[in-house]
Amino acid sequence: MKVKKTIKQIIRHLVLAALALFWLIPIIWLFVTALGAEKGINTNHFFPEKWSLDNFAQLFFRPDTVANFPAWFKNSFIIGCACCVISSVFVLMVAYAFSCMRFKGRKALMNFSIIIGMFPGVLSMLAIYFVMKLLGLNDSLIGLIVVYSAGSGLGYLICKGFFDTIPVSLREAAKIEGASELTTFVRIVIPLSKPMIVYTVINSFMAPWMDFVMARIMINSKEPANWTVSIGLYNILQRTLIGDYFAVFCAGGLIVAVPLSILFVIMQKFYVEGITGGAVKG
Amino acid sequence: MKKKLVSALLVAAMATSLVACGGKEDTNSQAGKNEGKDTQSEVSKDDALKALIEATKDPVDLTVWCSEQENWQTEMKKITEDFKALYPDVTFNFNIGAESEANAKDDLLKDPEAGGDVFVFADDQITELAKAKILQEVTTTYTYDMAENYEEDAMNAASVDGKQYAYPLTTNGYFLFYNKDFVSEEQAGSWEGLLEAAKACDGVIGMDMGNAWYVYGWFAGAGLTCTFADDGVNNVCDWNSTTNTPTGAAVGKYIMDLSANPEFQSIGDGDSRTLKITVDGKEKNIIGYVDGLWAANDYTKAIGDKLGAAKLPTFNIDGKDYQMGGFKGYKMVGVNAYSKNPGWAMIFAEYLTSAKTQAEIYETLGEGPANKNTASVANSPAIAGSMAQLPYSDFQRVGGNFWTPGASLGTTLYEGTKDIQKALDDAVTGITTPAQ
Amino acid sequence: MKKFFKGIGQYFANFGTAVAKGDLWTRLSLVIMGMGYFGRKQIVKGILMTLIEIGFFMFTFQFSLTYLAKLGTLGTVQREEVFDPLTLTKTVNDYDNSLLILLCSIIGILFIVAFILLYISNMKTVYRLQQMKEEGKHINTFREDCRQMINNKFYITLLTLPSLGVIIINVIPILFMVCVAFTNYDAAHMPPSNLFTWVGLKNWGTLFSFNRNSGFGYAFIRILGWTLVWAAFATFTTYIGGILLAKFINNNNTKCKKLWRSLFVVTIAIPQFVTLLLVSKMFGTYGIVNGFCSRIGLTSFLKDIGLLSGSLNYIPFLSKPGWAHVMVILINIWIGVPYQMLIATGILMNIPNDQLESARIDGATNFQIFWKITMPYMLFVTGPSLITSFIGNINNFNVIFLLTGDYVTTNPMYAMANASETDLLITWLFKITTNSTTKQYYMASVIGIVVFVICAGLTLVTFSRMTKGDREEVYQ
Repeated sequence: MKVKKTIKQIIRHLVLAALALFWLIPIIWLFVTALGAEKGINTNHFFPEKWSLDNFAQLFFRPDTVANFPAWFKNSFIIGCACCVISSVFVLMVAYAFSCMRFKGRKALMNFSIIIGMFPGVLSMLAIYFVMKLLGLNDSLIGLIVVYSAGSGLGYLICKGFFDTIPVSLREAAKIEGASELTTFVRIVIPLSKPMIVYTVINSFMAPWMDFVMARIMINSKEPANWTVSIGLYNILQRTLIGDYFAVFCAGGLIVAVPLSILFVIMQKFYVEGITGGAVKG
Repeated sequence: MKKKLVSALLVAAMATSLVACGGKEDTNSQAGKNEGKDTQSEVSKDDALKALIEATKDPVDLTVWCSEQENWQTEMKKITEDFKALYPDVTFNFNIGAESEANAKDDLLKDPEAGGDVFVFADDQITELAKAKILQEVTTTYTYDMAENYEEDAMNAASVDGKQYAYPLTTNGYFLFYNKDFVSEEQAGSWEGLLEAAKACDGVIGMDMGNAWYVYGWFAGAGLTCTFADDGVNNVCDWNSTTNTPTGAAVGKYIMDLSANPEFQSIGDGDSRTLKITVDGKEKNIIGYVDGLWAANDYTKAIGDKLGAAKLPTFNIDGKDYQMGGFKGYKMVGVNAYSKNPGWAMIFAEYLTSAKTQAEIYETLGEGPANKNTASVANSPAIAGSMAQLPYSDFQRVGGNFWTPGASLGTTLYEGTKDIQKALDDAVTGITTPAQ
Repeated sequence: MKKFFKGIGQYFANFGTAVAKGDLWTRLSLVIMGMGYFGRKQIVKGILMTLIEIGFFMFTFQFSLTYLAKLGTLGTVQREEVFDPLTLTKTVNDYDNSLLILLCSIIGILFIVAFILLYISNMKTVYRLQQMKEEGKHINTFREDCRQMINNKFYITLLTLPSLGVIIINVIPILFMVCVAFTNYDAAHMPPSNLFTWVGLKNWGTLFSFNRNSGFGYAFIRILGWTLVWAAFATFTTYIGGILLAKFINNNNTKCKKLWRSLFVVTIAIPQFVTLLLVSKMFGTYGIVNGFCSRIGLTSFLKDIGLLSGSLNYIPFLSKPGWAHVMVILINIWIGVPYQMLIATGILMNIPNDQLESARIDGATNFQIFWKITMPYMLFVTGPSLITSFIGNINNFNVIFLLTGDYVTTNPMYAMANASETDLLITWLFKITTNSTTKQYYMASVIGIVVFVICAGLTLVTFSRMTKGDREEVYQ
């Protein structure tokens, strides 16, 4: 009986290992290509013939006009941090207003904001560019920050679901003691919504590292030092460059993955609570 | 305008102040007084330049867009330094941007006001850029004479409807690369020879059949045409001709028969760079491939001295050889019509395309100069190959609806079809569909 | 609906009463908005209101009116420049920019609408103040008004900035793009050099026309169909996959749960355009997978059983219809499952344990428990997010765009419309505006509106059912 259970156990883990391997194959390929001595794209064999750390050295210590990774990293990091703060604040504010307060037009506003979010973003990019230009914010980091975070209030839904689960009695008790809505929001609701904050922070931090379409439209500057990681990496994919820089591209992708993976693994618990806490209620 | 909006917004939103300037809208006249008059002798050109230098008091900001490749960027930096030294009385702030020649049009069309003042672009974009009035017309040159420096060919390529819009910089176009180890010079002359060589060494020959740019070469070679209609927007195309010798179907048949050989592969540009490719589970050498100068560095890296280059091969239909055609072109330097410093932008564009600079560009970047006085200096094998193809190639004068149907036709023929005529008819319908 | 109109009627009726029954101060507010407040000693509020009014009129007359005047034609003066070869300078006429006219008009109109609303509500407030004064009630000082903003009117404070952001980033661009669908904005009419103008419903006719010379109608129906099929498959495969994987990892017999979970989660952390590009290279015509398949004889096997046409000596994973359709769905599983797994993990942890226990005591098998208890619970909990991810997949730009970038269609009808078999509506409209040389923004807008209507319709139906019962109160 016990033997049978052990065998079952082993099989279970073998299956898991196989699945994990399957999921990780592209990432392993990314990894070994980044560690290969060959610069160009290599579709013929999986592992490189020679190994080297040169791609990473090039990435960090020999920035050139094609791959100015330190500058890109810095730009993305600034945008990411700013977006985190603004988006989190916006989402919490909107969610609190919709979840904990009752006012005229609340339902209408909620429906309206859901529908607004349905419009395909790819289409409105050009218009966003010209709105930003009108405000004098095109071609700048501030502009990108605005673009990534200004509309974040629309993503209140999950957070609202989370707030809905916070017992009303908590807030009422505070009010009886004379606390204003502001105090209730800052002192009671926010401390309770750590998972939500983590969820929003992760999502908004990732945007500037992942998005290449919007960023390319927003940033006119062709000076690589003004780009974000995603514009820069995407630029390397051009046919004139990919032959010389593919391995560097892989190394760059990997470097981007490091902070995000760490963030993810550490915050996993909160993240899960964040999504599901909200999802319970939609 | 911008400022006015922002300040008005501030007033409305925050209700703080009553400022907001009431000045009249700026007229869009860009700089300067209008002195001097008529006649354009050599003397007045020099005078114009002198006057420009004198009139320029503020620092001149110029954004230059050129190829994203590292060596291009370095070279451009050097060129701008030399240019500054040439005009010591004026302060220049150069901003060098990395923009692929192939994408210049897309970014300029999006917002020309934010585009580079001077930019390098591939000449196939010239019609659209000129139509969108983004290119500054070149009415005259100040530091050298166009006709003395360029063949008529190059001048035509830089013109739209008889007006000149750009300065030719380097030559562009595709031709045949081959591996001298496996292919003799004679074999490189025809597809039949290449096929024979490939069969002998178990190698691969190929081109990108999924790209209308290359597919054009077959039909052009057979004397069929595809070009702008009179309106300069739509296309006329007779690739499905049944009266021409050879007929369109005969060309299609030839491509299909050639493609049926496992040695002939349709290889995309990005997959060819190592000149090795995995076919049928085996890694094989690409011994003959149709590509352009931009790939020469990679190929040299891959096989070194063994790299040969020649005009495109001939193909044989009914016992008669036809020289494959193709697109040729130039990389051009254009001046943005929305530039704030049109004068200096033009002078710099001239300097960039001068015989001296073109020779330098050939030296450091290996690109074939467009200037006829410099062309003789260039003698690398790849450039020789590109030069050899020039007489057989056409300028790229096709409208937007050419590309997708053309690529579709190439792929269809490469994979084989039962009804060649229908594939051709479909493609021609697509290519000649009027752009709405 | 009736309630809605009644509400509007009431709204204006109140305004009428305010005007009719107002005293001098109230009526003066019709001209100078702050007067009503001055009369009740609310000086600061009065000044603010008046300043807003002045600001609005300055904005409208100095900025938006010039544009609004040209909205009907979208501009008539084309850009012309004269270059003086002697001074190397040029003069440009005062030209119209259709794009700016449209955009600024929209902004101007938004301001006007907002002002009218403010104006009416201002009148009502002022009238109420008058009534309060007459009844001898306490009128708030400015300080008390401010205090309200963090108390029972806190929602205004909370929503102002986010709403402003949404208006700038979402509302204005959307209105602009919707308008573009009724113009002829394309490469030949591209501002600033050229003008575009209104063409009415012509573009909608093009989309729904099925004649031979325009591939649009043909491509539209097929792409719409594929978009829906794709969204359905992509949503359900990742959903089920995620639940199964989560169950598998969360099983009591699994050791190091967190480690396994982390392994899968790593795939989320790498930018999609990096991983997807790699995957597309792996499955390319000359990629690793094809080399492997022909080495183990899979390619020739597929040829033998007729799944692969004779002339191909590779498997067209991402380059032939059918193959590519299946592959993008499979690859999407790879992308989407880890994410769904995370969500499912959280929910599975919350399943009420007593239900599971009692089922087990009743002798239910694991499979039965899964289908009868776990799944219904999951569906109940994640129903809304399922809709969200369905819509997310309709708009899933990255997967399709990056995986099928090299795809060349052999269907001339698709080719004519700048589309290909694997395109979703969203990638199609992107191609129309970027890849194609004609840049038919108006067609892209038309398609975009169609996508919008589909998504909004779906959402409204599901969400209105959810909000109707007002379940949110139940939990609090």
